[in-house]
Amino acid sequence: MRKAVVALVVTVAAVILLVGFDTRPPRTLNPNSALRAKSTPRALARPRPTPSRAGRRSATGPALVTPFSVIQVRATLMHGRLVGVETVTLSGDGPHTEAINARAEPLLRAEALKAHSADIDVVTGATYTSRSWKGSLQAAIDKARG
Amino acid sequence: MAELQHVMGMPVRVDVRDGGVDPGAVERMFAWLRFVDATFSPYRCDSEIARLGRGELALRDAHPLVAEVLEHCERLRRATRGAFDARARGSLDPSGYVKGWSVDRAAAMLAAAGARNFCVDGGGDLVVRGGPAPGRGWRVGIRHPRRRDRVAAVLELTDGAVATSGAYERGDHIVDPRTRRPARGVQAVTVVGPDLATTDACATAAFAMGEGGPAWTGRLRGYEALTIMSDDRVLSTPGFDRLRPREGQDPGGP
Repeated sequence: MRKAVVALVVTVAAVILLVGFDTRPPRTLNPNSALRAKSTPRALARPRPTPSRAGRRSATGPALVTPFSVIQVRATLMHGRLVGVETVTLSGDGPHTEAINARAEPLLRAEALKAHSADIDVVTGATYTSRSWKGSLQAAIDKARG
Repeated sequence: MAELQHVMGMPVRVDVRDGGVDPGAVERMFAWLRFVDATFSPYRCDSEIARLGRGELALRDAHPLVAEVLEHCERLRRATRGAFDARARGSLDPSGYVKGWSVDRAAAMLAAAGARNFCVDGGGDLVVRGGPAPGRGWRVGIRHPRRRDRVAAVLELTDGAVATSGAYERGDHIVDPRTRRPARGVQAVTVVGPDLATTDACATAAFAMGEGGPAWTGRLRGYEALTIMSDDRVLSTPGFDRLRPREGQDPGGP
């Protein structure tokens, strides 16, 4: 039962909320995505008893500014254990934000992970992770723990 | 002409392939980044951002660029009806925006000094212009998440920015505090866009979204992305294929 609860919480936490800046209620983005259907079949396929929400706590860290929007990290804890991390995007302004909010079904290509040894000039993906983002996450975890 | 310095908490490497560019331009670029670190870092207790946050510095006495950045923050706070507050938890932290913004401006400084073919690498996030040799763009390897000496994919770019968010190094994972296992879903997200400030933000957001990240990147206009999932699936936006080097291309041209 606890596993089921955790699985459901993870599924819920994986849902990305986009909040319009007219503060409409959060809406589920892209619920029919083939990608999502593939990635979460078990949690969605069978109806389950409503899980107890006891022990589940969520909190949102401080906002991270981007030039076109504001991003916040939301952490979900189950009995003190981190079970979900999501980024809540609060819309900024401009057509770029509208593009992000558009519900167009994304077209994505899938392939197998390959390791190359091609001639390259420079490498992306190094040691640096945004301290800002990690800080927001840590604050969210602290807040959720109360 | 290439130079590596450690600034803003990360290695920054600049590689200028044009002849005749004043080496002083590279020095001024690093001086700019040191200025940004000293002024905007919330982790330096004597930075203007930290002093502003503690109420020890008035905005009118701060550097004009501080006001410009905070003005942007305030505009966003109003646009989100207070959901965004740069003073959340009592401290200012605009660094998620400042890093990409400052590297973009560093690249603009090199361009203003006459450089046309260069790369600025800020801790693995890049701004490139032109190419390293005539007839081709910069070949950018996306570091393999588990095999440090390999790259998972290669793209070729003449003008733009590349940012990768991922769990590459010990200590960089977003971990469950009790199990100490990394957050699930995605190993790495690489985003290509016109400038580093927005591209970096997109990569960070997409990585944090986990399994929902690729779908989100699919809706971004003007950006392409490649996501390596935890199960080694690779999902890329359709336009990403156009960024791959053509097979059999002669690097030196005809």
